[in-house]
Amino acid sequence: MSLNNNENNNSRRNFLFGGIAATTAVLTGCLDNSHPFHTEESIALTGEKVKLLSVNGDVIEIDRAFLKPVPDLPTLTNDEERKGIAGKKFVMVIDLARCKNLRKCQSACNHMHQVHPGQNWIKVLGMEDSIHSAPYWQPTTCMHCDEPPCVKVCPVDATFKRQDGIVLIDSDRCIGCRFCMAACPYSTRVFNWEEPQLDPQVAEQHYSCESSMPQKKGTVGKCDFCPDMSRKGELPHCVQACPNGVFMFGDLNEDSVTNGSETFRFSDLIKDKAGYRLMEDLGTKPSVYYLPPVNRNFPYESGLENQTKETK
Amino acid sequence: MNLVWKIKPRKPNKYYNVENNNPISRDRIINDLVPKRFGKRGMIWTSILIIFCLAGAYAYYRQLTQGLVVTNMRDYVSWGIYISNFVFFVAISLVGSLITAILRLADVHWSTPLTRIAEIIAVSAIVFASLIIIVDMGRPERFMNLFLHGRLQSPIIWDVTVISTYFLISLFLLYLPLLPDLKILILHRKPSVNKFHKLYVFLGSFWKGHKDQFRINDKSINILCVMIIPVAFCIHTVTSWLFATTYRPGWDSTNFGAYFISGAFLVGAGAVVVAMYVFRRYYKLEKYITELHFEKMGKIVVMLGLLYLYFNINEYLIPAFKMKKAEEEHLRELFSGSYAIMFWFAIFVGMLIPIFILITKKGRKPLPMFIAGIMVVVGAWFKRYLIVTPTLLHPFLPMQNVPESYKHYFPSWEEWAIAIGSLAGALLIITFFVRILPIIPIYETIIEQNEESQKDHSL
Amino acid sequence: MKKAKKTIRYSLLLVLVISILMPNIVDAQDASDGTPILKLQYFNINNSVQYLLLESSTKKNKVFLAQKNISYKVYLDSVSSGNFISEVKTNESGKAKMFIPPNLKSIWDKSSTHLFIVMKGDEQVSSDYSITKARLEIDTATIDDIKNISVKIFKDDNGKLIAAPDIEMKVGIKRLVGILSGGDEETYTSDSTGLVTVPFTKINMPGDSLGNLILIAKIEDNEILGNIIVEKKASWGVPTVAGEDFFSKRELWSTRFRSPYWLLFMAYAIIIGVYSTLIYLILQLIKTIKIGK
Ligand code: SF4
Ligand code: SF4
Repeated sequence: MSLNNNENNNSRRNFLFGGIAATTAVLTGCLDNSHPFHTEESIALTGEKVKLLSVNGDVIEIDRAFLKPVPDLPTLTNDEERKGIAGKKFVMVIDLARCKNLRKCQSACNHMHQVHPGQNWIKVLGMEDSIHSAPYWQPTTCMHCDEPPCVKVCPVDATFKRQDGIVLIDSDRCIGCRFCMAACPYSTRVFNWEEPQLDPQVAEQHYSCESSMPQKKGTVGKCDFCPDMSRKGELPHCVQACPNGVFMFGDLNEDSVTNGSETFRFSDLIKDKAGYRLMEDLGTKPSVYYLPPVNRNFPYESGLENQTKETK
Repeated sequence: MNLVWKIKPRKPNKYYNVENNNPISRDRIINDLVPKRFGKRGMIWTSILIIFCLAGAYAYYRQLTQGLVVTNMRDYVSWGIYISNFVFFVAISLVGSLITAILRLADVHWSTPLTRIAEIIAVSAIVFASLIIIVDMGRPERFMNLFLHGRLQSPIIWDVTVISTYFLISLFLLYLPLLPDLKILILHRKPSVNKFHKLYVFLGSFWKGHKDQFRINDKSINILCVMIIPVAFCIHTVTSWLFATTYRPGWDSTNFGAYFISGAFLVGAGAVVVAMYVFRRYYKLEKYITELHFEKMGKIVVMLGLLYLYFNINEYLIPAFKMKKAEEEHLRELFSGSYAIMFWFAIFVGMLIPIFILITKKGRKPLPMFIAGIMVVVGAWFKRYLIVTPTLLHPFLPMQNVPESYKHYFPSWEEWAIAIGSLAGALLIITFFVRILPIIPIYETIIEQNEESQKDHSL
Repeated sequence: MKKAKKTIRYSLLLVLVISILMPNIVDAQDASDGTPILKLQYFNINNSVQYLLLESSTKKNKVFLAQKNISYKVYLDSVSSGNFISEVKTNESGKAKMFIPPNLKSIWDKSSTHLFIVMKGDEQVSSDYSITKARLEIDTATIDDIKNISVKIFKDDNGKLIAAPDIEMKVGIKRLVGILSGGDEETYTSDSTGLVTVPFTKINMPGDSLGNLILIAKIEDNEILGNIIVEKKASWGVPTVAGEDFFSKRELWSTRFRSPYWLLFMAYAIIIGVYSTLIYLILQLIKTIKIGK
């Protein structure tokens, strides 16, 4: 229960950032064109101005688009979605010392992406590397590899790597050969074996590779690093949902990652805590870094109670 | 057909005259070898095959409407018996190149009566290999994407390319040597008694037996024989790369291409042996497919079996010696775990026992050979299953956070129906082929039987 | 230093845990299933644009559900037509945003503290959210080769600006969805003169193509002041041009338009070789057919 409350807090906080980014961009447009997501070009401006009162009691004008909590973004073409966000290189850091298998990340992700019951894009694995080594909980997403074996083998460019480092799937293109599933050493991909169970309004929605919604029968799915959220200036759903701040998301080009409440310099964090990547020996060069489970916030056993028979 | 390969005049072929020393007469040969109506047994056989095909088609209809959920494949075992069946078909199809091309290039002549058997097995297997791949696709209606958006980096595109190429070449290699036979069929079978007359005319009416036609045709066949060998190696190597290009334990092997090819040769040769026996018995072709053929084929099967055994030892002993963490569980499951029975079955029944049967002279008689051939083929099918499935059940990260049913695999009835239906379909193609066209090349047999210093252009 | 950092991090965590637990104890009693929860927030951006953000949700089975498409009327100070700010409808995530219209200027200027009242139909659903007008300033100063970010916070006191002490804020570099602290602490608190000085320790941070960083100070969810944000550009970073060369490389994972040359060469050599032979054979076959006719 305590966690839910925080979950809400988190999303509120992040939402707020989006709003700010949007508004400031217009006002400080001259100040900065490259950093925030919402430069004037990236927002669907209406051209219509509204008058409003400033803090000092002056009357100023602003585009109507900013009246919305999150301004509408222009609909992207498939080509733009395949190119990705210029100048970004997304990374994620997962702090194993903070994870107690709450699976809030998993349920938020499943809910937001309407993942088929039983399947998960994020798995929280109970790891024990050998009998005498310490067990720990390891949330596992798509690693968004820089040498992605899944992309190498896809026959039709249905899964592809973007300039911002994200590996996405185009479910309008995928032929369902499942070669990528065999190729992915992290077993992160899932397949829509049957017609996905979608809310009616989601099912009608225009398909976008960035939101991976609505999913389609006979195609693959996986964690997409929520680029649609990044465009809105928000954090991926799992990052927002985790009450323990396990997930940190950011831009390598900015050298920083954040979990919403704390922000770290990426290079310092990795250096101080000896961050590593999974299966480095395979040469897949993941974009997800792990911080080892040392000085843990929770004992491993505390996570066991969240493990029901079905979710094992 | 071997006319061109014969640089020096060849001695009359005596293999066919086992019963008496006289060559069999032309009319007799034609009479013996033209396609016959199905007897009662033939009808039953064909109907059974058709029923299996229909069952498969119905299962596929269910799969189309409901999605791949009707199979028991899930996220971990994302490839099941469809893919192992595909590998099996590709393997069998390799035999076309073995019998037709390699033996011919080696100037071996006893294989002449077997060439068409081998080619039709190759063609039908390759047809069903392509079909089964489409069955395995989650979105078969997007098949054209492979051509619209095909990306050269993907081994699947390589596979699609080589398979279609191999199909074309095999078809050619089936068709060109058929031309003189078509002429015989047109001439010697009256249209009134022959339902297929029109088809023969359509396929081969231009063949007049002209000298130039023979010259061009022989040359084309030569070129095909040379070309089909690398292409055949490619199709199986590339198919093995579908596995070997991933990191999975059991697939991540540099040995895989050679391992697959040697296995394919073995199962293909086994299939030919089985087909030889069946045609010989059913069509009373003892004079044409003689014990000598069995003797020779038996030796080939032994040789191929030993070769495959060698690659198997390579493939399992070396990883087992090191027992890397990822491999360990996989290998234990195979050697002594839940796949052990199937694994040792495939090793013994698919390789060792046939080798022991065929290594003896007595074992190379038609009936034991037939049994050994069946063993090889059945063992090979299970071997393909073992190559595909157990590996997928041993991923690098533990299988967790999934429903219990995701952690096991046993094919659903739809998968069985489709797999069996595809095997039946391949047999059906062969059966119909035999009904319509001569399975033993008539023209070449005549040439072989008679003094062939002059070509018989009168045919 | 490291140790101090660690202690701070842990104490922060403790605060976090407590702050999570505290409202929950309350929550457990009054926010039973289905009770609507309304959240109003005031934002002041760069001492200029200000807006209100309304968030409406319910709690069901321990999960917060956004309440969509609900209309609210918001008033400034008191519920009367002259004080009407806006009527808003929540979007699909249960949020609505509103600006203060120019016709409320006289009311806005009259007082330094304002109350926002939210009405749902005829019912007052929130009547105690008030803020005090404030001004946040950010500047850079280099003293003895040490770069400093100095932030001043003032609040309005009947038309005069006076220093606001003890205000917690984040001061740092603006980053994707977050603020990377410019110094070593996560947050800073203003002293009695409303001043915060942050020695800038994040050297060699990647900036934009000219090496500019956006410095930002942010007061978050303050009881009196609401949310205030100011930004300033400083050329304290390292010029960074995000290269696209990684993306435009010809690799095995590139798209079909960027297949590696060696692969193209090999594949086409083989394909052309085999298919030209096949075409030759077809021509030969045609020749055979012609001879026969
Ligand atoms: S983790 Fe798997 S699916 Fe994700 S990019 Fe790497 S190989 Fe592809
Ligand atoms: S399943 Fe889809 S995304 Fe995966 S390799 Fe096949 S076509 Fe590409």
